[in-house]
Amino acid sequence: MSVSRPSPDSAETPVRVELRPGSGGVSVLAVSGRLDVSTAAEARDVALEHLAGFRGAALEVDASGIERGDVSGLSLLYELAGGRLAPGVRARITGLRPELAHLLAAFPTEEAFAALEAAPPTRPFLEEIGAATRSMFLDVRAQAMFIGAVVQGFAAALRRPRLMRWREVGVVFEKAGVNALPIVSLISLLMGLVIAFEAAQPLEMFGAQIFIADMIGLVMVREFSPIFTAIILAGRSGAAFAAEIGTMKVNEELDALETMGLDPVRFLVIQRIFAATLLMPVLTAYSMLVGVFGGVLVMLTMGFPLAQIWAQLHGALGVHDVLVGAASRSCSGRSSRDSGACAACRRRKGPTPWVIRRPGPSSPGFS
Amino acid sequence: MSATSGVSSAPAVIAVENVTIAYGDNVVQKDVSFEVRRGEVFVILGGSGCGKSSLLKNMIGLYRPVTGRILFDGEDIVTAEGEDRLRLLRKFGVMYQSGALFGSMNVLENVRLPLDEFTDLGAEEKDLVAAAKLNQVGLLPAAARKPSALSGGMQKRAGIARAMALDPGILFLDEPSAGLDPINSAGLDQTIRELSRGLGITFVVVTHELQSIYAIADRCIMLDARTKTMIAEGKPAELRDHATDPYVRQFFLRQAEPAADDGSKGSRTS
Repeated sequence: MSVSRPSPDSAETPVRVELRPGSGGVSVLAVSGRLDVSTAAEARDVALEHLAGFRGAALEVDASGIERGDVSGLSLLYELAGGRLAPGVRARITGLRPELAHLLAAFPTEEAFAALEAAPPTRPFLEEIGAATRSMFLDVRAQAMFIGAVVQGFAAALRRPRLMRWREVGVVFEKAGVNALPIVSLISLLMGLVIAFEAAQPLEMFGAQIFIADMIGLVMVREFSPIFTAIILAGRSGAAFAAEIGTMKVNEELDALETMGLDPVRFLVIQRIFAATLLMPVLTAYSMLVGVFGGVLVMLTMGFPLAQIWAQLHGALGVHDVLVGAASRSCSGRSSRDSGACAACRRRKGPTPWVIRRPGPSSPGFS
Repeated sequence: MSATSGVSSAPAVIAVENVTIAYGDNVVQKDVSFEVRRGEVFVILGGSGCGKSSLLKNMIGLYRPVTGRILFDGEDIVTAEGEDRLRLLRKFGVMYQSGALFGSMNVLENVRLPLDEFTDLGAEEKDLVAAAKLNQVGLLPAAARKPSALSGGMQKRAGIARAMALDPGILFLDEPSAGLDPINSAGLDQTIRELSRGLGITFVVVTHELQSIYAIADRCIMLDARTKTMIAEGKPAELRDHATDPYVRQFFLRQAEPAADDGSKGSRTS
């Protein structure tokens, strides 16, 4: 009874597993050839086929024919010796070469392996809910402390504007603002184009296509531009701030600031929040312009003269609308970025930097 | 440390031929050539900034040298692509300076990852093999821990276990002793020796820890940041006792740089 399967990597020296009767009622499972990571799974399958109906009293594994082997391959012998493959029958391994015996000795004892397999106790459902709730409240507290620290930092910067590091404000303005122009342009232009294009057909039924100008103006200026600019700024720049300050935390740069007596909030966070708060209305205004431009483009292709579109827009929109749009969203945009910076600051250095540590009493949000 | 018997006559498994490493216009090392023999612990030495780690990263195929070939059993990793490159990458494992363990997985899962990706072993066998690897580096009791809960030495040992997961014939270790206390460092050296002698694994180790070099190295080469060349090759004890290059002597005798350079570099030893 012999089954041998060449493995893809070892066509020349396949692994062979044979079961034959031995003396004194002992069955002998002879393993030979190359028993390594590329043949281990095959060898195990064949051994399992042989041992499926095994009813013998004792099993011996003749390993003298194994020419090459590694730890993955020898896991088969370990399993046979431990009685894992033929239930209740622990095989005796014979003839294994010394260097391979050395590898086999690397396997842990059954007790050690059993201890390893013990799964960590899972928390009961109620305890999970309790822990999650507690964690949520702790996060709220950390956020509140962080906002407090930011307000304190702003107050200090107002008293002594030299502390503000204006160059950094400029850098952030460029990174989060100027560099965000392409994506803001793309999204706003598409919004304007799509809204105007989709509105054209239903409005045509009422002969009211000229009111596309009113609609695009109101929708972009009052609602969509502020919302989407806020989302872009919070997503793009907030994530960038979090990554930047998180990396600084891992590199112990924040620790260095603290030991130099510099408050990381004042040194790093204030500039970003200040720059982003200024940026929000500017970017929103830009988005409004591009969005309306997209709508105007569609109307021009429909044959409306620019002067008429302009007059319609002028009638529909007032300065009031622009101010409402720009102001209402700057707050939401800012708070999103605050939380990005806050989460980054609480990240922990070390091999798993993304574990959030609880804030300590001395430095809110920077434990 | 005595050299593993038979190593001196063993065939070369890695041949580095006329390799020049540069980052843009900044040449780090010029025309480096040496061979690593099967079963030996081969150490790449040199002062800070001489290009040891760069050479290692070229050897493991992360960076491409400007010129030269790096052959594993005759196959060049510099030009290999696709399946050929994957096959070459399977010949060795790498332990990075900080262990580079994946923080989201526990230690056992880290070691099991290559087995999951590259073998068709069953789940139980993979656990068994990963446990055996951890046992080999003495880390089995910490199998269920996350890397963040390990000490620096344990992280490096776990890094070695992961590098060994697929039983490669060659292990590259980047600064195994850096940042470890003497006891942990000696423990790691012992692990390297045991793996080298017991399993016949070839080690290529980048380090500048003198004690570690004496403890593990069969042969070593030394790179120099000033001349940007390889300035010595041989057994560490021989280099220490017989080197004629003043920089090599200084390095092995742990002497500080002389206040004024007399300009004489002396003849290079090999």
